[in-house]
Amino acid sequence: MHMRCAAVFITACLIVSHPGTSACAKVYIDINAPSATRVPIIIPPFQNTGSEPDTHKLSTGMASIISADLEFSGLFQIIDPKLLNEAHLRGVTRNEINWDSLSVVGAEAIVTGVFAISGNRINIEMRLFDAVQGRFIMGKKYSGTVPEYRRISHRFANEVFKELTGAPGMFETGIVFVMQTGGNKELYYCDYDGGNQRRLTTLNSLALSPCVSPDGSRVAFTSYRDGNPDLYVMNLAGGRIEKISSKKGINISPDFSPDGGKIALTLSPKDGNSEIFALDVQRRTLERITDHRATDVSPSWSPDGRQMAFVSSRSGNPQIFINTLADRSVRRVTFGRGNYNTSPAWSPRGDRIAYAGLIDGRFNIHTIAPDGSRYRQLTAGQGNNEDPSWSPDGRYITFSSNRTGRKEIYIMRADGTGQKKITVGSGDKTDPAWAPLPGN
Amino acid sequence: MQQTAKTLMVCLFIAALMGSVACSKKNPPPAAYDTNAGQEMEEADLGAGEFRSPAEIDPALAAIFQNILFGFDQYSLTPQARAILDGIGAWMKNNPAKLVLIEGHTDERGTYEYNLALGDRRANSAKTYLTQLGIDAARIYTISYGEERPVAMGSNEAAWAKNRRGEFKIK
Repeated sequence: MHMRCAAVFITACLIVSHPGTSACAKVYIDINAPSATRVPIIIPPFQNTGSEPDTHKLSTGMASIISADLEFSGLFQIIDPKLLNEAHLRGVTRNEINWDSLSVVGAEAIVTGVFAISGNRINIEMRLFDAVQGRFIMGKKYSGTVPEYRRISHRFANEVFKELTGAPGMFETGIVFVMQTGGNKELYYCDYDGGNQRRLTTLNSLALSPCVSPDGSRVAFTSYRDGNPDLYVMNLAGGRIEKISSKKGINISPDFSPDGGKIALTLSPKDGNSEIFALDVQRRTLERITDHRATDVSPSWSPDGRQMAFVSSRSGNPQIFINTLADRSVRRVTFGRGNYNTSPAWSPRGDRIAYAGLIDGRFNIHTIAPDGSRYRQLTAGQGNNEDPSWSPDGRYITFSSNRTGRKEIYIMRADGTGQKKITVGSGDKTDPAWAPLPGN
Repeated sequence: MQQTAKTLMVCLFIAALMGSVACSKKNPPPAAYDTNAGQEMEEADLGAGEFRSPAEIDPALAAIFQNILFGFDQYSLTPQARAILDGIGAWMKNNPAKLVLIEGHTDERGTYEYNLALGDRRANSAKTYLTQLGIDAARIYTISYGEERPVAMGSNEAAWAKNRRGEFKIK
């Protein structure tokens, strides 16, 4: 509920350099190239030009958030500002920057920032330059409250990413996950990098399997609040919770359709035999998707809404299958690699399905093309790795791992590189679901 | 049905406990099903809070209502499980006013969602067996907790074997 207020009150405006030198639409990085070279970029500590002291260490804080965002994308090489004489790092505008020193350390781009604190508010200016040509590319002014500095930094990182790659960044997205609190499990939220971690539910029960709607406004999840594992939808903005499915048996494993109008879920209409249904959120009508005596569970829509990946034990043990919704035909996707493959997550780009598979006694994250080709193992040799969920742009995956001894939430690039723990605090954390921000 | 009243009570109780959480005052209208849905489905009505563990009611009952155990990724009943269910069935025939809740549990391996489905299968295997003994299905409730409520801690076969279970509650 606090999440959106922050976004609303940050005001931003473009800093325009003199006419004629404004940014052209040059794309510096082709993100679809198989081996894009990383752009070396330097982000010196921001300059405090106000009269109030930088008690929150915003100077290095904002620079390091933008550095970490760009580094995680895998498309940038962050050059350590300590390689430069401090005097050479103070320049903020084109005329002030020491371009020669940047070329010595190999920087091809630079982000500079100045800020001023006034009580609980900050004003920030950030600029991006092409360091090879000494050319101004883009700049933004932001004003907000001091605690919003993280969000402002992520927002400017998005601008840099978009300017240099042509694609939108996702550094303002978040992750909803489950945390054990005493004997209960509650839903929590954090920024995609782990910042601003906070609790979403206080149902004093078991909350499981969150899934965020494509517009980022709602979370569907299972809770035992009323005794049975029923399905609920929570409005992220207001925190209001509504029970939307309470059939006898299980009401679990929700997945929003790409248009947000339906939720695929698992019910057990007869004798505990779980089947997949699609629930129309407005009309509350149910449409049956699977019909088989084996266990069917964990649906994941394809991005065009025409197919659904799911787990079925119909071949003897849990494997990933795809149901083509037009004719309900079913085909198996995973063959010959482990006899326990679950938690399918269809990439928003459509070309891959991530899943958790058990091989040699360990769960790891794998991806496979919907036609069963291009199998790839993404995690290995570090505990159990489960519950994959894609970022809205399909470039990253969040998952849970017990590699430190406790279950924590991690993020990585879609090729398995850049694995990074983002959660802190006691209590097992599981079931991450990547959350797009409203309006994005 | 009396279920409506029960659901309402549970609802009011929760609402009283938690003030801020919205809770529907009455059951939603029955969901419509498309023609290929096959069969009607009942709304959940558990009142799980009112069920108590047999040992809590009478230590002698604990000997009858022992946990039944399952193999990995299995929900078929072992001969030992059938013997325990025979004893439970006999007790239910002698105590016709009593209701039994069967909880289905799994070990920690595998995903929450698959294990919730598996736990549901296990509870229903036991329920089906009891109905075959002549017990009215309306007296038997089931719930799955998947891997969420282990009785034995530890990541080893000894702990896993104890956790792959059906557990019984009475009211």
